[in-house]
Amino acid sequence: MPAQHSTLLGVTRGLLWLMLGLVAAAALLVLAVSVGLVAAWPDIMVELKNSKIFIDPGIIQPRLLWMMAVLAAILGVAAFVLRQLQAMVASAATGDPFIPANARRLRRTGWSLVAAQLLAIPLHMIASSVAAGHSEFANMGGIDLTNILAILLAFVLAAVFEQGAAMRDELEGTV
Amino acid sequence: MAIVVKLDELLHARRMTLTDLSDRIGITLANLSILKTGKAKAMRFSTLEAICMELDCQPGDLLAFETER
Repeated sequence: MPAQHSTLLGVTRGLLWLMLGLVAAAALLVLAVSVGLVAAWPDIMVELKNSKIFIDPGIIQPRLLWMMAVLAAILGVAAFVLRQLQAMVASAATGDPFIPANARRLRRTGWSLVAAQLLAIPLHMIASSVAAGHSEFANMGGIDLTNILAILLAFVLAAVFEQGAAMRDELEGTV
Repeated sequence: MAIVVKLDELLHARRMTLTDLSDRIGITLANLSILKTGKAKAMRFSTLEAICMELDCQPGDLLAFETER
């Protein structure tokens, strides 16, 4: 394998671990916020009122908790996608990425991205129902064109890898 | 397998080893070994040509079809 490629794979591997770390940190944050929302709600409500971003903080506690649940689910999906990518990078490092397992991983990644996109819709609905329209908080989630392109790309790549794996299989044993 | 590779006999008749053939035609010993033991699934025309050229034979001398019972 050319040195340039192995460097690139090394960098990618490092970045994937970093992203997994960030996802884990975000999951901890979501957990901490959820606990805070339950345990220290009166204090948080006062803070939310002062921020002027949230509409009627008196009634939004259940919605915020739902938001945390959706965020946790999205983070779970993100961690799953990153693990799939790590496995694919590992197979590329061994010099044989065109295997049926990678086609399956890409397909799973595609479906995971679909799930994340679907989860982003209720996330946006809840966020826009609890916060004022002009705030950044209210614009969280929703349908994102980049996500949809990523989904299409994942499925196209899965088909390419399936074809590649079939060709590889045919080539094996050719002298 | 119905297609039989008679590389062993050809080499024996020419007093040549598989390593010699590998060196002369530039195909790895591992691949020639796969071919010799009948484990190959397919063969390139370029491989066939190189072997026929080196062993001075026809494709029919190297390959034969035997009906399986």
